[in-house]
Amino acid sequence: MIEPSLALYGEAFSRVNGALDVLLKGAHARYAMVVDRKGFVLAHRESLWAPKPPVLDSVATLIAGNAAATSALAKLVGEPRFNELVHQGDHIGLYVEEVTDQALLAVVFDNTAPVGRVKLYVKKAIQEIEGIVEAAEPIRDVNLGPDFVSSAGALLDDLFGRL
Amino acid sequence: MSTINFAAREINCKIVYYGPGIAGKTTNLKYIYRQVPNNVKGEMVSLATEDERTLFFDFLPLDLGMVQGFKTRFHLYTVPGQVFYNASRKLILRGVDGIIFVADSAPNRLRANAESLRNLRENLVEYSLKLENVPLVVQYNKRDLPDALPVEMLRMVIDPTGEYQEFEACAETGKGVFETLRAVSKLVLERLAAS
Repeated sequence: MIEPSLALYGEAFSRVNGALDVLLKGAHARYAMVVDRKGFVLAHRESLWAPKPPVLDSVATLIAGNAAATSALAKLVGEPRFNELVHQGDHIGLYVEEVTDQALLAVVFDNTAPVGRVKLYVKKAIQEIEGIVEAAEPIRDVNLGPDFVSSAGALLDDLFGRL
Repeated sequence: MSTINFAAREINCKIVYYGPGIAGKTTNLKYIYRQVPNNVKGEMVSLATEDERTLFFDFLPLDLGMVQGFKTRFHLYTVPGQVFYNASRKLILRGVDGIIFVADSAPNRLRANAESLRNLRENLVEYSLKLENVPLVVQYNKRDLPDALPVEMLRMVIDPTGEYQEFEACAETGKGVFETLRAVSKLVLERLAAS
């Protein structure tokens, strides 16, 4: 096991979603997501008025890859980390900030949301989410049941065997 | 370890294609992308140079389907094989659940295969991991080359003790591509169920 995985479920998951909703409303941003360092989406919310979001898997993967590269760059120039990452185009912006060592919070916003306001609400949200993430226990015992491997194996055979 | 999202009832596993430059890692992914049905695959992301050499990584998400009530997904990554992209390679290994080592059968790439495997060991150490502790299968690619090295010779360099499952492949035509992926996927899921 390389690093503990986050177990965001139950109440912790609901609270993170609640914090993301407050962030979206306050910042008037389109989408907000919490992504682990491996590029998997842990939680995501979108504003009701926002257009359909892009493919979340791709976004999460690139955010994690980008953050990893930025972090490596920081170390190369003698900084332990660069805390935040902003990309701004003519119409759409992306703001990414660390949530503990294990996760990232990414917000997509358009030009109706000033980046200063986005940053303000992101920092507020991070304060809350950090507490939740730190309190969340890493997954230790995963009881997937004895039939898990055989069921998964059958699916793998079915999918890959016929291609 | 695989990410298990209980809220969404999802199991996500990260599989990395590793190996020397131009061994065929991206070709594996492209073949998979072409062959799997649309409902199984997500968008393929390639961060490559203009001459189509992998710069950072390629990424392809696959949905296995529901297993015991969990939506089970595989995220496939390739690393840039060229020696000077090691910083990027190291980053991609973070959180890896399984590795496919793609070896090049071309006669002038024997040393590159050995160096790539050594590099893999070194990079895993950064994450306090040993190669022996990560599910790994070996794919001997480019078996269609007229002057391909004998598998026995490649094995002597890559897996002299015969520890890993191995597959002969020609990723261009798809031979061995899904067999390799299926093997590592099973190893990853077995590890997950046993954890």
